[in-house]
Amino acid sequence: MSEDQLANLLGEDPDQPAYNAAFAESFAALNLDDQKFIVKWFEIVGETDAALAAEFVNSAPGVFDELDHTGVEAWLMSALQAFDDEDLDKAHRLLAEPAEFIANYIYMHSRCTFESVSQFVQHFVIGLGGRELIITKFHEAYTDTEKIFLPDHIKDYPGPDLNFSVYKLTAVHLWAQARYGTWRFQVVETLGRISNNADAMAVFNRLECVRLDACIGRELPGIYRQFEALGYVSDEHKQAWQDFRDELSGLEEPTATALDSIALIEQYLDNSKRPLPVLKRYQAKMDLAAVRKAMTARINREKEAVQEALGELQRAIQQVIKGDDIEPLDDEEGRFTIVDADDQSRGDGPNVDLYYDDELIQMTPEIEDLMESIIQDFGEIPEQYMDGVARVPYASDQEADLGEEGFIPDPVQSADTIRYREWDYMRERFREGYCLMTELDVPPVDDNFVEVTLEKYRGLLKSIKKTFEVVLGESKLLRRQSQGDDIDIDALVEAQADFVSGQEMSDYVYTRYRNRERSVAVMFMVDMSGSTHGWINDAERESLILLSEALETLGDRYAIYGFSGKTNKRCETYRVKRFDESYSSMVRQRISGIRSKGFTRMGVAIRHLGHLLNMSRARTKILITLSDGRPEDYDAYRGRYAVEDTRHALQELRHEGIHSFCITIDKEAQDYLPHMYGAGNYAVIHEVQKLPVKVADIYRRLTTL
Amino acid sequence: MSIQAIRTEENLITKEPYYEPVGNEVEVFAAAYRNQLPVLLKGPTGCGKTRFIEYMSWYLQRPMITVACHDDLTASDLIGRYLVKGGETVWVDGPLTSAARNGCICYLDEIVEARKDTSVVIHPLCDDRRLLPIEKLGELIQVPDTFCLAISYNPGYQSVMKDLKQSTKQRFVALEFDYPNADKEQTIVEREAEGIDSTIAAQLVKFGDMTRNLKGVGLEEGASTRLLVNAAKLILDGIPPVVATDSAVALALTDDVDMLKAVHELSRSVF
Repeated sequence: MSEDQLANLLGEDPDQPAYNAAFAESFAALNLDDQKFIVKWFEIVGETDAALAAEFVNSAPGVFDELDHTGVEAWLMSALQAFDDEDLDKAHRLLAEPAEFIANYIYMHSRCTFESVSQFVQHFVIGLGGRELIITKFHEAYTDTEKIFLPDHIKDYPGPDLNFSVYKLTAVHLWAQARYGTWRFQVVETLGRISNNADAMAVFNRLECVRLDACIGRELPGIYRQFEALGYVSDEHKQAWQDFRDELSGLEEPTATALDSIALIEQYLDNSKRPLPVLKRYQAKMDLAAVRKAMTARINREKEAVQEALGELQRAIQQVIKGDDIEPLDDEEGRFTIVDADDQSRGDGPNVDLYYDDELIQMTPEIEDLMESIIQDFGEIPEQYMDGVARVPYASDQEADLGEEGFIPDPVQSADTIRYREWDYMRERFREGYCLMTELDVPPVDDNFVEVTLEKYRGLLKSIKKTFEVVLGESKLLRRQSQGDDIDIDALVEAQADFVSGQEMSDYVYTRYRNRERSVAVMFMVDMSGSTHGWINDAERESLILLSEALETLGDRYAIYGFSGKTNKRCETYRVKRFDESYSSMVRQRISGIRSKGFTRMGVAIRHLGHLLNMSRARTKILITLSDGRPEDYDAYRGRYAVEDTRHALQELRHEGIHSFCITIDKEAQDYLPHMYGAGNYAVIHEVQKLPVKVADIYRRLTTL
Repeated sequence: MSIQAIRTEENLITKEPYYEPVGNEVEVFAAAYRNQLPVLLKGPTGCGKTRFIEYMSWYLQRPMITVACHDDLTASDLIGRYLVKGGETVWVDGPLTSAARNGCICYLDEIVEARKDTSVVIHPLCDDRRLLPIEKLGELIQVPDTFCLAISYNPGYQSVMKDLKQSTKQRFVALEFDYPNADKEQTIVEREAEGIDSTIAAQLVKFGDMTRNLKGVGLEEGASTRLLVNAAKLILDGIPPVVATDSAVALALTDDVDMLKAVHELSRSVF
């Protein structure tokens, strides 16, 4: 910078009163870039207001001490903005007393928010393995063994990176509780019996921390190093924990369990004798009540699921043994047993083998996941889970039960009603004309849902459209053409060879670039069952709007139908957009009008919509299902029966040359979707909010080479 | 230095390739070979399909011809064509014909990538006729008993345009491949990257397993055994483990920023 500039800034002469020695000193201490910045902005601000410039120069070195370059710029800009808004007081105050701004700025820029980490943490925790825990926002951190709750933001450290690490470590600590048996069934029961529960839980939390840290140290050494680096608030804190650990070396053994921690609670209950160390940064409160609630629900759910799955397996085995005769099972017949596997190195799956009588049985992925989750709760598969397998009723028994309840909905019969057959896997026959399908219109709703959605996803829609346009513009080099822009050397050589050998010379010796003609027809089949009520329904509607907008660019033929119903007598599909309909305001209003209705009888809906799709003329026909769970209806249409019927319906479509794909948000979908749709023909989306983005992305990938 | 050229149909594998059998795939393949049945290998990328074929080629002592299929591969690329040499036309056999004449193992890698017209030549070759029609020569080759056709494909592709037709699939004896269990995989990593510390190998396998947990949740495919071996080789060469897994595994798996970060952090938690 020039002498003039400096003189201008610092004052002409050290002897003059304008010369500020203290300022000159602090200014000299700054690096050259910062100095240049001050000089540049001193001149620019000086053009506007000399007093303002002087205040800026006076405060600037101090602000540079606290904030980085961007921060200083933000500070100056906010002052200039205030000046432009004619709030002179504020402008002067900001520049003269920057402390408040600095404090605010640091607060806003060092904290780490839930939104910025949730996606990452979710992937991370799933990657770690075990039962899939869902990351959810709450005002404080804890886990109920189904979900991991994390706070809205973390600001323990003066930088977003470290705060981000604390988020990650908190999640790992909570994951470790679920993974390493802090919340085993026996543990939860024992804890429930302890009186003076709040204090006991506080002790338990600390004891478990010692045990879990040791587990992490063995399994995930990288995480353990970060635990040690970031867990403590001070050296004293670290020392307090070190002392605490020294007393408890037994808990750090690989064989220690949460029950060992419980045994030690008693001696630490009297706080005055042995003060407990303060919680580490990544530790969270323990909520026994929440764990109990989630666990009870899960145990019941999984017990039923295991017995149902094993019952089906048993029937399948017996069918193989006996041939086609399907008889009810006797209790004396074969029995399932679980044996710890010899091979303990299977990575993530449960380390148990399933035997039927003495024969080793291959577990389905569904049973495997269930076993893993149960082992996480109990440490083993309890005996009684294997009992009562044979008592699971047949689908047909369930049907009979329903009759006694007296519920049969009024069949809605009209001219539009079509009868469809349904596949009964037990009988290995179709039930001909069993389902009555009616096509209805979705009542249009004229609210501002479409406008709001388009506004909300404005940026996204642009990028979706762009990627779709790329698909459209994709050109391909066609070889062996009768006319074209260039010569196909390979073809020419071959033609020449033919010619020389006395055969007829081919005319097809040119290459040509041509845009691939798209000939795609897509049927979107939207789950309108009761379980989609609320935000899932919203996400479905948003997806449909975005997709319709984007599909208009692509020019693919598409139709949208919803489906729902109650029992075979009343299956319904809801027209949103027919193939021959344009994307009119009426269609938009119908999308907006999609509401959740009854149950999910999928097979008949697939047959009906597949039939409609088959009538459209296109080379590639795809049926895409948006769903939130497994097929299920009010009557016996559930479990294996429903899955098999759906699978059969999809196979029928396949024979017709229709491809099917399912997009679901059911996190257990991996258990049954591969069976129904086939490997690679489905996508599970973990966050409902991501549905609109993903649906468009999947569609693009599906329909391009 | 002299470079020796080997004719593809004489490419006999003399040194036993390292292959760790997972089930009874070696026996099944050998039985299929004895009965002149073609074989279809299914499985995710990098789980050892190609290595298995190399091993079988050694095991059965038959030369092997590999064709990596691509979307411009036509039937005549496989069968052969006339070329002009000094004003005369000369017929040159394609890899499939060459394998058929010499009774080799012909391995068509990623068959779904090839053009649909390739099925015209594959079909008669794969049923009991075992014929290879060469239209241009007006010949029909009855292939010798030692000839074996093996194809591979990965059913995980999510494009409906890429699928094997039933009529093709149903001509093959199918073998399914998947990633080996942790112990086996560790042995493989240690064998392939000789000299790697067994703790590091175990950590690599654990990390590989973690990425496989993410399959279908954001990753299209978890880390293959091949990627883990690559990472091990980098580590052997002095690259720190986390850098090696970032370069050899994470960046190869995904471009998604959030996902990349998660995979990075997973490797940092294992090492």
